[in-house]
Amino acid sequence: MTRLAATACLMLAAGGACAAPLTVAISTADGAPYADVVAILDPAEGPAPTPAEPGSAVIDQVHKAFVPRVSVIRTGTAVYFPNSDRIRHQVYSLSAARSFNLKLYAGTAAPPVVFGQSGLVVLGCNIHDSMVGFVAVVDTPYFGRTGADGRARIEAPAGRYRLRLWHPELAATVAPRAVVLGAEPQTLELRVARGDDPSAVSPWVD
Amino acid sequence: MQLRTRIAVTFLALLAVVLAAALLAVSAANQTNAEREINRQLETGRLVFERALETNRRQLAQAAQVLAADFGFREAVASRDAETIVSALQNHGARIGASLAVLLSLDGRVLASTDPTIAIGENFRQADALRRADPGERGPSVAVANGHVHQLVMVPVRSPLPVAWVVMGFALDEQAVRELASVTGLDVTLATRTLGGWTAAASTLPKAQLPGALVALAQGGDVQGDLALRALPLIANPDVAVTVALTRSVAEARRPFDRLTDRLVLIALASLSLTAVAAFWVARNITRPLQALAGVVERIRGGRYDAEVEIERRDEIGTLAEGLQLMRAAVESRDHDIRTLAYTDRLTGLMNRTAFAAALAEALRAGEPRTALALINVRRFRRINECLGYGVGDEVLRQIAARLDEPPRLASRVGRVAGDYFAAYTPLGAGTTPEQWGAQLLARLAAPVVVSGQPIDVSTTVGLASAPDDSADADDLLRCADLALERARRDNADLRRYDAAWRVATPEQLSLLGELKRAIDEGELKLAFQPKIQLTSGELCGVEALMRWQHPTRGLLPPGAFVPFAEQAGFIRKLTRYALREATVIGAQWHRAGRPLPIAVNISADDLADPGFEAGVAEALRESGLPPSLLALEVTESGFIADPAQALGRLEALRLLGVGLSIDDFGTGYSSLSYLTRMPVDELKIDRSFVSALGSSSEVAAVVRAALEMAHSLGLKVVAEGIEDVATAQQLAVLGCDVGQGYLYSKPLLRADFERWRDAQPLPATSPPSILPAPRAVAARSR
Repeated sequence: MTRLAATACLMLAAGGACAAPLTVAISTADGAPYADVVAILDPAEGPAPTPAEPGSAVIDQVHKAFVPRVSVIRTGTAVYFPNSDRIRHQVYSLSAARSFNLKLYAGTAAPPVVFGQSGLVVLGCNIHDSMVGFVAVVDTPYFGRTGADGRARIEAPAGRYRLRLWHPELAATVAPRAVVLGAEPQTLELRVARGDDPSAVSPWVD
Repeated sequence: MQLRTRIAVTFLALLAVVLAAALLAVSAANQTNAEREINRQLETGRLVFERALETNRRQLAQAAQVLAADFGFREAVASRDAETIVSALQNHGARIGASLAVLLSLDGRVLASTDPTIAIGENFRQADALRRADPGERGPSVAVANGHVHQLVMVPVRSPLPVAWVVMGFALDEQAVRELASVTGLDVTLATRTLGGWTAAASTLPKAQLPGALVALAQGGDVQGDLALRALPLIANPDVAVTVALTRSVAEARRPFDRLTDRLVLIALASLSLTAVAAFWVARNITRPLQALAGVVERIRGGRYDAEVEIERRDEIGTLAEGLQLMRAAVESRDHDIRTLAYTDRLTGLMNRTAFAAALAEALRAGEPRTALALINVRRFRRINECLGYGVGDEVLRQIAARLDEPPRLASRVGRVAGDYFAAYTPLGAGTTPEQWGAQLLARLAAPVVVSGQPIDVSTTVGLASAPDDSADADDLLRCADLALERARRDNADLRRYDAAWRVATPEQLSLLGELKRAIDEGELKLAFQPKIQLTSGELCGVEALMRWQHPTRGLLPPGAFVPFAEQAGFIRKLTRYALREATVIGAQWHRAGRPLPIAVNISADDLADPGFEAGVAEALRESGLPPSLLALEVTESGFIADPAQALGRLEALRLLGVGLSIDDFGTGYSSLSYLTRMPVDELKIDRSFVSALGSSSEVAAVVRAALEMAHSLGLKVVAEGIEDVATAQQLAVLGCDVGQGYLYSKPLLRADFERWRDAQPLPATSPPSILPAPRAVAARSR
């Protein structure tokens, strides 16, 4: 049945717009739901999707941590870094994709940072070394991030895609896989190995 | 060894032993302590060194962390701008004086370095070790770079996750080694081993000692020569090794202990010297007075009592000296007493025999021209003692002594030489004879002695001798005087002077004495028998036993050749006993053989003075079994003249035994007829001098006739001796003499010859007549 739906949707996609949601359910080797896994669908064929008006995102700082710890945004998105702590933070990034250095601030005084280049940006606070945040900047508009239940729902038109998975503490890089979306919603259940070194960041694969 | 030396040596030896033991103990303890001290210093040094390294490391790490956290530096790192990164490394390294700063990728490859010898992209050798040591773990990490040894730290560069490593290093150079040496107090050598062996990268050791330390490192020992070593490996790879050697000079570590030992030796030597001086001083203090005391003792031993003990001390030696002083006085006093006792007669206060003989000898030696010696005997003193008591006897002696000694002095010295014998000597003036002096002595003693108001008649006899006429020797002179005194007593005279003709004690006779003693033991003395013949019947009526000496070299000796000498030598008693024993044995044998014959034995005056004589006679009779009536004893007149009372008593005792008694050699002595009447004898033997002159002298014949008549009137039998011809025998028979004896009948014959002669005689028709009257009748007559 799934195969039928997928075939139908492919056919639809070839002929016109047809959208079906993809749900990615990620669990660790022991079967536990794996949160904060970034799932990205890159169109495998056809024209690049029409760039939509870049939106904005918020990465809050709560209890000396970036919330969310892992973000995934579309290229050109302006990200706000409000400070919900009573202490000040000095958010910076030295990543090649986007390096910036916000001045020491509190509250919402900081200007939004536009991430214009795809890639992984590691966020830090010059004052608090323990604060680490990750921003995955992608060119595709089809992406999601697993919640506490390990599931992420991605809306994308039917078609062929390449599915990339990333998480800062993966034990090994998860190879991209081909996904065909049809008219029927489908769920992809995957298991990944979770790394145990919090300081070792999984390499980012474009 | 002298006491002084002994005391000193003892104390010194004792002290030396104690000191030696103490030195040995201290020396051994020092040895141990020195080793322990060295080990302790090395161990402390090791701890301090490690702490210092750790401190360095922490400082370094801190500096590195500051660098790694610097935003600008992180931006530079993020920019991958090599030149900027190197300049940042140089800048920050210079701030903390680092010798090396390197940026490594997370996988340990060199991204940038301040040391141009470290190539970009090469694998940093110590990265793994440093990563393991980080963060906060102890333990130094070092690296050899550019020929220098560096202490390294590695810290991550975070943005915010680790993106790179910063390695910073301090050079462990001479400066660092000196600082480490100063905090550890040890010599520090930083050595590296490459293929060429150990070389010193930096060291505070003197150059001379460095090779030793390297050898010790190579061999893994902990002592090399003077160096005690503790090795701390910093790198121990097969191709390269870095070790820090902490070293301590053993000699230097030992120096304080050696100094202590040296000082102790000095103290020991000093105390030994002081003790030696003190010991000798104390010992001398003790022994010097002891030596003085020993000197005093030596003088006292030599009889010199003048030595005063001059030691005034309050200690034991003082007590000893005082005791010695008292002893000296006591010994002196006792010595005086002993001398007095030894040389003084206590009864009379005169010199005793010893002192007198010594004084006489001294006088003779002094060479007086002539010296007269008198021996004075109190006659019948025994009677005085017996009748009047010893107290009176003593008083008599004292008074006689006083008279001899009182002024005007008749003699130079007077002594009491025996119980009732006194002696005196005096130098004789020219023209004075000893006899005159003796007469003076007698005159002084003539007056009766008055004791308790009672006069006692005391008569004295004096024997005289004079030097040098008679002898120049004191002992000899005394003997001469003694002989003279004896002669005077025997002659019942007041005074006799020694006559050289009496001298019989020739050397020949002296040897005779020894031979005589031997003769009795060897049986050389024999009895010869001369028969006594009844003049009227011609029958054998008795026999006189005479002593013959069968001398081994001189042949048969008659009694005259040795009996007088035996009498003088005090040997006559033995001879008499011997003759008595022999005679009684032979007489008993004849008696048992059925040929009983009275035997007469001669006894001497000395025998009569023998209180045990009659007991001896009785014993001889008892042992032999000879009836007493067959034994007769012949005594010369002189035998009882010396002490008639004593002789009388003895003869009476003998008479009671039942033996016959006769007076020998009658007519030669000076005995008074009154004695004769009192003597309990039953036979009279007329001396041969009368018999031989009988035929030629009518006066002699008259005397013999008178004697015969007197004897017969007293009931005595008369025997004539020395009959040599028949005419004399007939004349004697006519005169009424009972028995004859002489060569006419037989000379004295030894037993065997005599028995042959006897057996040749015609047997008497009747039993042999007794020659003895009944004893009872004699005893009655003797009163």
